[in-house]
Amino acid sequence: MSLLKQMRNASWFWYSMICVLCWGAWALLSKLGSQEIPPDTMQFLFTIGTVPVGLVLLIARRGKLEKSPRGIAYGILNGVLSGIGGLALFAAYHTNGNTTLITAAAALYPMITVVLAITILRERFRPIQALGLFFAAIAIVIFSL
Amino acid sequence: MHIPPWLWYSILTVLAWGVVGILQKLSTNYISAESSLIWLVVGFLLLEPFFYPGPAVLHYTKLNLTYAIVSGLLNALGAWALFAALKGGGKASIVAPLTALYPVVVIVLVPLILHESVSRLQWAGVACSLIAVVLLSA
Repeated sequence: MSLLKQMRNASWFWYSMICVLCWGAWALLSKLGSQEIPPDTMQFLFTIGTVPVGLVLLIARRGKLEKSPRGIAYGILNGVLSGIGGLALFAAYHTNGNTTLITAAAALYPMITVVLAITILRERFRPIQALGLFFAAIAIVIFSL
Repeated sequence: MHIPPWLWYSILTVLAWGVVGILQKLSTNYISAESSLIWLVVGFLLLEPFFYPGPAVLHYTKLNLTYAIVSGLLNALGAWALFAALKGGGKASIVAPLTALYPVVVIVLVPLILHESVSRLQWAGVACSLIAVVLLSA
């Protein structure tokens, strides 16, 4: 009970809820737009929508960005790969497949992150992650039936 | 086992975003979360010439065009809220699994907006994927 109370009083909890609502709405609007608009055009328009947020952050920082070539390179690569992943998601929605299943399947991406974190970043493997991979595998098998 | 086209596309998304998860971590090792988001948008913009639809874009209905642009805005706002949660003292081990539950919003809203049905077995699959995501991000 006290934990719930603690959560309700914490700003991070409400920020997390804002994130969940925003991303939920993002996925749903992606589906609605994809019913008519093809994936590449969806990704083009999506990017236009992300620009104001980037600009507001840039202004808030008064244009001061860290000059770390590595950080910048990883950041840009993030955008390129996110865009390709987004394109594939729009393509999935565009096939008229089931929205609930597509959203649930595409949200399984942490399984790849966990495997790469263990093999490339040499992070410690935790048993709970193995359990997570197990459930992810079951989900994918069910979706392909 | 017959993998439907939507699942192939979703698997591609999982692969690309799975690598992004690692890159996000690597970039925030060197630069702040806000800067990471700014460079993320720059990366998105680099792809724009390949996806430029030309004047044909005006043929789509205004409502769908709005959905597409607002989806981008909401996605970036969500990422911003995630950073704010982490900065506001939220532990990554709690905030990450919590925010990974965004498909729940879709699951709740789909029956109200779209006429799609999900079989019992598929619901089991959805439940497994939600459990998996929470365990993996924990």
